[in-house]
Order: sequence, then structure tokens, then C-alpha cells
Amino acid sequence: MYQAIVFLPLLGAILAGIIALAGARARHSGYIDMHGHDDYGAAHAHGGGASHGDAAVAHAAHDDHAAHEPAAAGSRAAELITSTLLVVPAILSWIAFFQVGFGGQEARIPVLPWIHSGDLVIDWSLRIDSLTAVMLVVVTTVSALVHIYSIGYMHEDPNRPRFMGYLSLFTFAMLMLVTADDLVQLFFGWEGVGLASYLLIGFWYQRPSANAAAIKAFVVNRIGDFGFGLGIFAVFAATGAVNFDTVFSQAPALVGKTMHFLSWEIDTLTVICLLLFMGAMGKSAQFLLHTWLPDAMEGPTPVSALIHAATMVTAGVFMVARLSPLFELSPTALTVVTFIGATTAFFAATVGLVQNDIKRVIAYSTCSQLGYMFVAMGVGAYSVGMFHLFTHAFFKALLFLGSGSVIMAMHHEQDMRHMGGLKNRIPVTYWMMVIGTLALTGFPLTAGYFSKDAIIEAAYAGKNSMAIYGFVMTVVAAGLTSFYSWRLIFMTFHGEPHDREHYEHAHESPLVVTVPLGILAVGALAAGFVFKDYFAGHGVEHFFREALKFADGNHVLEEMHHTPALIAWMPTVMMVLGFLVAYQFYIRRPDIPVEFARQHDVLYRFLLNKWYFDEIYDVLIVRPSLWLGRLFWKGGDGRVIDGLGPDGVSARVIDITRSAMRLQTGYLYHYAFAMLIGLAAFVTWFTFAGQH
Amino acid sequence: MNELLQDYLPLVIFIGVAFVLSIGLLVVPFLVAHKNPDPEKLSAYECGFNAFDDARMQFDVRFYLVAILFIIFDLEVAFLFPWAITFGNLGAFGFWSMMVFLAVLTIGFIYEWRKGALEWD
Amino acid sequence: MTAAFPFPAIVPAVPELMLAIGGVILLMVGAFRGDRVAPVINGLAIALLILVAITVLYLPPGTLTTFGGSFVVDDFARFLKVVALLSSAVAIAMSTDYFAAVNHEPFEYPVLIILSTLGMLMLVSANDLIALYLGLELMSLALYVLAAFHRVSARSSEAGLKYFVLGALSSGMYLYGASLVYGFTGTVSFDGIAHATLQTSGIGLIFGLVFIFAGFCFKISAVPFHMWTPDVYEGAPTPVTAFFSAAPKVAGMGMVMRGAIDAFPNVVDQWQQILVFVAIASMALGSFAAIGQRNFKRLMAYSAIAHMGFALVGLAAGTEEGVRGVLVYITIYVTMTLGAFAAITAMRRDGRIVEDVADLAGLARTSPAMAFWLAMLMFSLAGIPPLAGFFAKFYVFLAAIKAGLYTLAVIGVLTSVVGAYYYLAVVKVMYFDEPAKPLEKMAYELKIVLTVAAALNILFFLYPGPLLESAALAAKSLFE
Repeated sequence: MYQAIVFLPLLGAILAGIIALAGARARHSGYIDMHGHDDYGAAHAHGGGASHGDAAVAHAAHDDHAAHEPAAAGSRAAELITSTLLVVPAILSWIAFFQVGFGGQEARIPVLPWIHSGDLVIDWSLRIDSLTAVMLVVVTTVSALVHIYSIGYMHEDPNRPRFMGYLSLFTFAMLMLVTADDLVQLFFGWEGVGLASYLLIGFWYQRPSANAAAIKAFVVNRIGDFGFGLGIFAVFAATGAVNFDTVFSQAPALVGKTMHFLSWEIDTLTVICLLLFMGAMGKSAQFLLHTWLPDAMEGPTPVSALIHAATMVTAGVFMVARLSPLFELSPTALTVVTFIGATTAFFAATVGLVQNDIKRVIAYSTCSQLGYMFVAMGVGAYSVGMFHLFTHAFFKALLFLGSGSVIMAMHHEQDMRHMGGLKNRIPVTYWMMVIGTLALTGFPLTAGYFSKDAIIEAAYAGKNSMAIYGFVMTVVAAGLTSFYSWRLIFMTFHGEPHDREHYEHAHESPLVVTVPLGILAVGALAAGFVFKDYFAGHGVEHFFREALKFADGNHVLEEMHHTPALIAWMPTVMMVLGFLVAYQFYIRRPDIPVEFARQHDVLYRFLLNKWYFDEIYDVLIVRPSLWLGRLFWKGGDGRVIDGLGPDGVSARVIDITRSAMRLQTGYLYHYAFAMLIGLAAFVTWFTFAGQH
Repeated sequence: MNELLQDYLPLVIFIGVAFVLSIGLLVVPFLVAHKNPDPEKLSAYECGFNAFDDARMQFDVRFYLVAILFIIFDLEVAFLFPWAITFGNLGAFGFWSMMVFLAVLTIGFIYEWRKGALEWD
Repeated sequence: MTAAFPFPAIVPAVPELMLAIGGVILLMVGAFRGDRVAPVINGLAIALLILVAITVLYLPPGTLTTFGGSFVVDDFARFLKVVALLSSAVAIAMSTDYFAAVNHEPFEYPVLIILSTLGMLMLVSANDLIALYLGLELMSLALYVLAAFHRVSARSSEAGLKYFVLGALSSGMYLYGASLVYGFTGTVSFDGIAHATLQTSGIGLIFGLVFIFAGFCFKISAVPFHMWTPDVYEGAPTPVTAFFSAAPKVAGMGMVMRGAIDAFPNVVDQWQQILVFVAIASMALGSFAAIGQRNFKRLMAYSAIAHMGFALVGLAAGTEEGVRGVLVYITIYVTMTLGAFAAITAMRRDGRIVEDVADLAGLARTSPAMAFWLAMLMFSLAGIPPLAGFFAKFYVFLAAIKAGLYTLAVIGVLTSVVGAYYYLAVVKVMYFDEPAKPLEKMAYELKIVLTVAAALNILFFLYPGPLLESAALAAKSLFE
């Protein structure tokens, strides 16, 4: 069964890939003409977008391109194959979830021996426990829904087989990640999803901004992966194994030991955990390494929903949870995790306040929610973090897919300032979005209510030095979340339509789009209520058993239930506050935000430009790197190696040839002169130097 | 080295004397000769004719051919004189050597004859 | 009355006598029958050369001397004589098609080659300075005439004149050097000079050595006495150029080796310096200047300069092994250059003679066999293993390294890398450029020369024994 869950998506990816290749070959004859036409069309679309006059949305380009290009042959077949091959694993995953979570049927399923080299033994096997089961459910369910949704969303795109193939490939890699039984296999899945993410962000490769975003995502992730890689090496150096069971059993023995790292003697476990956490920061877009996530919205919206909201970005959270036996032993690392998570939660929420691109708002919200999860991890409430991951997957996928539906209705317009009043045109989407927003903001009894409140309570109850910081930040961020989420709803669906033409043509999405929304909406409403006890309540130990490790002194799950009522109500209060402010700003007095932004211009720009992180990185890292690269390229390779090497030598040879040919004048007396000169040279040589 | 140079001393003296003498004979007429030029004396008639043509005119290449052939047979004779004088000491080898030499020359002569080098037309 | 000059032994000189008498007879036949019989004379001349080559092989074994010690026949001389005779024969064979094409088939051509070859035989057997000069002039005078052979062509006349004037200059240098050496040693005999230099080696003698070597270097077109080579190669009729690049080089190399090893074995340090410089300069200039050439014959001229430089590397070692290397080198070089010139001679389009490398464009498609064989020869000239040209270079460089001349060997290898460029450029033109109009069909004798030469170069590595062994014997006899 588990093999089926993991490998059916791979099969789907391969089949879709074959279809895409066959289609590309069939179209090869007319390719050149088509291509030129494409570029023109894309450029045209860009021009149209930019003419709306806002730099902030210039790169939030339209999701369509070249609708006039015929679809690849076999598109329908590819869609059906990949979707089917994900619906089946999704159903199987739910069965597995109940079997493992409640039936306790954990398993290790060996697949293949992989690397046997000296002490390094890595076997490829599937580790099935509650943690895996939760992730399986999240990944396959969201992925299956996104596959189905894509059939509707991408129906104008000519390269659908390729798209579906990428989606399935991503799903496979993600499943490899969550079923990993050792660090290297985890890393394999980790890099696999990175690759798939790169391919999907750059899916519309004719678009320069999409390529740039894809490269940015890949490069920023490399920084994190570098740390992750070092972390794996450190684990192997310290324990001699990368297998989870072995590493976890040896970890307690490492407490108090130090290792030599960057010329300092540092606590071994702290080094390992911080390095591994660096990988998590990259993948989960945490503060300092977050810059790629908003740009990743260049990809098609289903991709944003699947990868950059529900699944891949939570891989970092999952990794920390999976490695909880290590993190539990390093209080320092946990403190750092809390700090980073809290900072991200607050920072991303502030930026989300002023963004105008509908997908970017949700992207920053994702970033912020990931911060919440890390706060939970940091204070030791791993199951709570996983709970938020679980619920977040539903309502964030719902929001993204909903916004995709809006974008479709608006003919690929993403700027919220051009929307407005859509409530009546696309009521189904509207209600779905409202449900998602309620869940996100933590409206009582929705999924977010349980998980988010649990995190805030856990932060309050947390023991490490950053816990109180985490508490404050998450509470503030809760209010900000409420504000920007309702701002999104109000700007999009309420008020006067700003773009009549688009408004008139707006139409409700087909069933293939709305049905997945409905399913997700059910999850967004019910996931918290149903599962709260197993993630955040008294059922945790029974549900997770050995999958999560709580140190002996870690009673945060107990204590969080004994927080004062005032604290417990705080998030709800903040939620209501945020809603009221948003209502005041965008429904009753739409002129206030403009005035407000004008009065606090500096603050507004600071937020609009995302705390100037891109600019700072550009100056501090990108430009020096490019300068250095150019130095090595032009100076080192071009001038020194090529110049003195191949090019220089051949140029000198030509020079010598020229002068040698110039000697051959054709004049007899020159020739005779040369002979005499030669003779004279010999005679002179022997007269003065040749005698021994 | 010095001895070697001393051997050449008479030569140097000879060259020096020759040089002084010729320079002297060139210069003296300008100093002592009686000069009384008039147009008749300076006219071409006095010392030849006016030139008919440019001196750098083309010759028929056959003049050269004849001249070259003449030189070959002239040299042949030049070789014959010393050979004849020392013939008594040369023996059979000396005799036959000259016969071969003459034979080769004869063959050359036959060749040029057959090629028509001796005919003017 | 006792004869001061006893009748000398004739046997050692039988090949030369045969060649001289045969040449004279052919001249007479031609003189009486005219140009009509030129094909017959060509055939007879080839037969004569081969016959003489066989005769050389059947001379009594060992080292024979005659004419008062000024004429010596040893294995060294035999080896070079055979190579020179055979390459002359091939050069005659290669000429018929060319002269037929230019409608000018003179019977003097084979006769001149025979006379020139006679000079070469004399040259490699010469054992004193006078005999050497005799051979040198006999060879050269015929060559001057041959260079200007196409007398209606201005370029041919210019080539002949340049060669003659510069050749006279070089002869003058040689004679001046010879007189200096005679003055300081009191003898012209090589043995006598070797003996005399045991005691003295004054600056005057060294000057004489320098002048003699200047004369030598001119004949083998070594830098800086090479200037005539490109112009003469280009200007002379192609079969003449082919002849120029083969037999005279063999004889010239023989002359340099005998002169250096037999006459000046006690001033090795001095002539080694000359040869090292000349070898380096030749290799470098030949390799670099050839890159800029478009005319194939001119390219081959620079190629010849470079190859003479490579050959001199072996001689510069001054060892028996080095001499063996030179002998192997020069033999292989003769096969390579004759094969290449067979192809060049055949380059004709619409009845017109073409000589540029660019005219070979796309030859691989229009006449694949010719392109393949020529490409093999180019690879061999470039010294790419396992072709014969590689072994040729290998033996001379090996000898140089064993003699401690590391710089020379390294420079040699480097310049051969540069040299590879223009050989490979020819291959590139043939195989990768767009085909030009096809060349005319190759005459069968040219085809045979090209194919045999290329095949020899390709297959040499399978059976190198005979050449290596006979060269070793020849080298040994030079040092006895």
C-alpha cells in the first residue's frame, strides 16, 4: 500500500513526461514559427499589464500566454492519468492515516539498498509512523485536488502534459521526503522538491520574470541546503550513521560534547541542529531566507497552492518535527528556532498589510504562518506545530485555489486594486474564500482557531528565553493576519468594481475548479475540531507515540492548557480587532488607507518594499557575487587563462607567422643579406662567446 | 700572428706605392698641363662621334650564346696547356683523364650543334 | 719514368661511371632524335637509376676508397645513394603527366636529373673538401637549370635566377671556408683535417668551419640560409619542386653528416652550437611561417625547412644514434614529401594547374581516395602516431635527449605542435569545406606514387626493421 502511495505519482510523472515529449516531437516541424509568435504574444501581454501603471504589479504578470497555440496532443490523457494516479494514493493515505495514527500499525518498508561504502550504509526504505501519515494525508490530498483543479485552471495552456508531469514529479519527491528513513533520503526528497519547484516556477519559461524567480528560489534554497548538507555531515561525523533510529539512539550520548567547527569548539548537538535548521529556513522561507517565496508566485497558481503554501514549504517544519529527538537535546537551537519563527511571523504579516497582488498577500501570509509553526517547534510543542501545518494546508490551499479562481474570473488580473465587487459575480468562490479567511484568522471553531490558538498558548507556556518574544509576536501577527486577510476579501469582493470591463466579463469557474475548493473548505472548517485532541490535547502521546520526542522536562503541552483565560482569548480579540479595522478602512471609509499611507509614507514604503530585503541582498550579496563572478569570468578565465592560454598562444602564433612571412620579401639582395647576417652572427658568436 | 703579418709587409708597400703613383699621375696634369680650350677642341669631332643611340640598347641574345660557347672552348684550351707541359709526369691516368674531359666537351659540342645553337637563324 | 698518378681503382666508382655514361648516351639519343623520344628517355632514365641503385647494393662489401682517398664508399654512402637514386627515379616518373599537360615534354629533364643525381652520389662519397665541392657543384648546376626549366614562365626563370645567384654565394662561402680550413690544417682530406684538429683548433679554423657549414646549410635550406626555398619551390615546375624536396635533401644531409662527423670530430662543441641554433631556427621559422601560406607548394617549402630542422636535431646530438635517427628521418621524409607532391602535381582543374590549398576544398567528397591518402601523409608530416612521421621525429628527439640536448628536444616538440596546425588545416579543407569543382582525374603513375607513399607511412610501424637496421649499419660505418 505504501509503495503504491509513493510510486504511483512517479508513474504518473513518467507517463505524462512521455506524452509531453511525444507531443513536442510531433509539433517540432512547425516549431520555429510558433515560437516566434509566442514570444510576441507574451511580450504583448506584459505590455498590457504594465500599462496599468503600477511597478509593484508589473511582474505579477498574467497567468495566460499564447492561448492561440494549440494544446499538445494527449493533454487530456495526461491530465486523466496523473489525476487518477493521485486520487488513488490520496484515498490510500487516509486509510493509512487511520491505520497508523489510531491503529498503531507503524512500519519500515525496505525498498532498495542504496549506498554501501565503508561505514556509510544508506538503504532506501519507507518509514511509516504517525508523523509520516499526517504528511501523507496532507501531501496526497492537496496534490490530488490541485491536479484536478489544474485541469480547469490550465485548460488554455498548450503544455499541459508537461505541467501535469511536473506536478506529479513534485508529489513523488515530497512523498520521498516525508517517508524518509534516514537523512540522506530526506535530502534526496528535499532536493527533488527543490527541482520540481524550480521547474514549476519557471514553467512559463518564455517569461524573463518567471525564469528569474525560478533561479532565485533555487539559489536561495541552495544556501539553506548547504547548511543542511553540512548538518548531515556533522551528524555522520558525530554518530557514524545517518539512519534516524541509530542517530536518535546515539544522540543522548552526545549531550555536553563539543566539536571543532569554524575554528571554535561548539556543542555538537547545537552545531548539528543549527545547521539542519538552516536548511529548514531555506525551504520554509524563514526570515533572512524568505525572499524567494513571494517571487515564486510567478508560477501558475495551482503550483503556488500545492508547493508554496501547503506542502513543500512545510518540509522545514516537518524536518524539525522529525528530528525532534535531536532538537530536544539542544535548548540553544530551540531558542534560535523560536526567535526566527516569531520574527518571521511578525515580519511577513507586516509586509502582507500593504501588498496589492492577491497572490503575494497570500504568499506573505504563508510565510507568516510558517513562522507560527516554528514558534511551536521552538517551544517544544512539536505536535502543535504539526497541527497547524495540517490545518494550514487545507485553508491555505483553499485560499490559493480560490484566488486562482478569482484570477481566472478576472482574466488573469492579479492586482486587487483592479478588482472589487466580485461577490455577486462569483459567489461560490467568494464563500470559499471567506471560509478560508475565517480559518486563517482563527474564527472560533474553524481549523485555524484550534491550531493557531494552541501555538500562542504554547508560546506563552514555553520555557525558553525567546518564548515570551514568540508569544508577543504571534499575538500581534494574529491581529495583522486578520487585517490583511479581510482587506483581501473586501478589496476583491466588496465595494465598487474598479475595472468595469473585467467585472462584466467575470464568470464563475467550472465545477472542476469549484469542487476541489469545496472539499478543501470542508477540511478548513472541520480539520481543527476533529483532530485537535490528537495534536494538541491529551491524545498526543497515543497518536504520535515514538514519532515525536518530548524531553523529560518538557511539559509544554500540559501547561498550555492552564494558561489564563485572558491569554487564551487574546488571539480571538486580535482577530476581531483586525476585522474591525479592515472593515473601517475598506468598507466604510475607503479613503482612510490612502490618507494613512500618505501620512506615513516612510513606513508605507518600508512595508511595500518588504523591509527592503531584496535591495539589501542585492547590494550586499548579489552585486558583489556578480562582480566577483564577472572578475573571474572576464579577468580570470577570459583574460588570464584564455588570454595567456589558448587564445593568447594562437594569437602570438599568428603574429609570429606574420612577421616570419614579412621576412620573405622576394628581393634577392634581402635574401643574400639574410645569409650574410646569419654568417656574421655565427662568426661574432664564436669570436666572443663560443670559445670554451 | 706577427710573423704572418710581416710576410705581407712587401704587399702592403707595393699597394701603397701603386696608390701614391696613380693618384699622383691623376693629379699632376691638372697642375702642370697647359690648358687652352676653344669650342673646336671641345667638340665631339675632336675625340670621336656623337652617340647614335643610347648605350643601353638590346643585343640579340645569340651574341651571348656565342660568347658563352666561345668561353667554354677557350677554357678547354687553357686546361690543355699545363696538361701538355706536365704530360711526361702524368702517365696513363693523366692521359685518359684528359681524353675523358675532351670527350665530355665533344659531347657538349655535339649537343649544342644538334640543338642549333651554332646557327644564327 | 714513374707515373706520379697511378691508375686508381675503378670499382668503387662504377655506379657513378654508369650514371655518367648512361646520362651522356641518353643526352645524345635525345639530341639526335629530338623531344619525340622524351617518353622513351624518361623510361630509360628510370631504368638506369634503378640499375645503378642495384649496382650500389652489389658493390664489394666494406669500406672502399679510391682516387687517392678522396672517394669513399661505405655503408653510409650506399644507404644515401640508394635513397637518392630511387627518389630521383620517382621524381622522373612523376614528371611525365605534368609536362604532357603543359605541352612541353623536353628530353633534357631526365638527363639533367641524372647529372644532378651523379653529383649527389659524388657528394655522399666525397672524402675531401675538393671532391665534396665537385659533387656539390655538379648537383647544383643541374638544379639551377631545372629550377628555371619552364623558361617561358617568369616565375620559373625568377626561381632559377634566385637559386643560381644565392647558390653561387653559398658556394663562395663554402670555398672560403674550405680555404681557411686548408690554411690552418694544411690538408683538404677529411681524415687529415680530423687528425690536424686534434692538436690545434684556433679561431681561424672555427671561422672556416662556420663558412663551410653556411654552405652546407644553404643546400639543405636551413635557416638563415633558407630564403631561396619558398620562392624556388613555388616558381619551379611542380615535378621539379618534388625532385628538389627529395633527392638533393638526402644528398645534402649526407654531406653535412659526413663533413661534421668525418672531418670535424674534434671540434664537436663548435659545430654542435651551429647546428643547435640552425635546427631551432629552422623548426621555428618553418612551422610558424607555413601557417600563413595559401600556396600548397610554398607551404611544402616551409614544411621542408622545418623538417630539415628536425633532422638536424638528430645530427646535433653528434652520436651514432643521432646519425641513425637522421638517416631514418630523411628516408621517411622523402616518402612523405614525394607522396604529397604527387598529389600537388595532380592538382589540375579544367586543364589549368592550381596550387592553392583552398583548391582542395571538399576533396573528400569529390575524390575520396586521393583525399584519404593525402590526409594520411599530412598526419604523417605532422608526426602523429602511429604513422611513420612520428617515428622519424621520435628517433631524432630520442637521440637529442640521450645526448643531453633537452632544450632542443623540447623546442622541437613544441614547434612540431605548431607545425601540426597547418598540416591539419589541409586535412580540414579537404574534409570539412564545401566542395569546389572537382579536380581532374589523377594520372595513374601519380596515383601509384601517392598510394605507395601513404601506405608506406601507414604501415611502417608494422615492419620498421629493415629501415632501422640498415640505417644503424650506415651510421655505424660513418663512425668507424
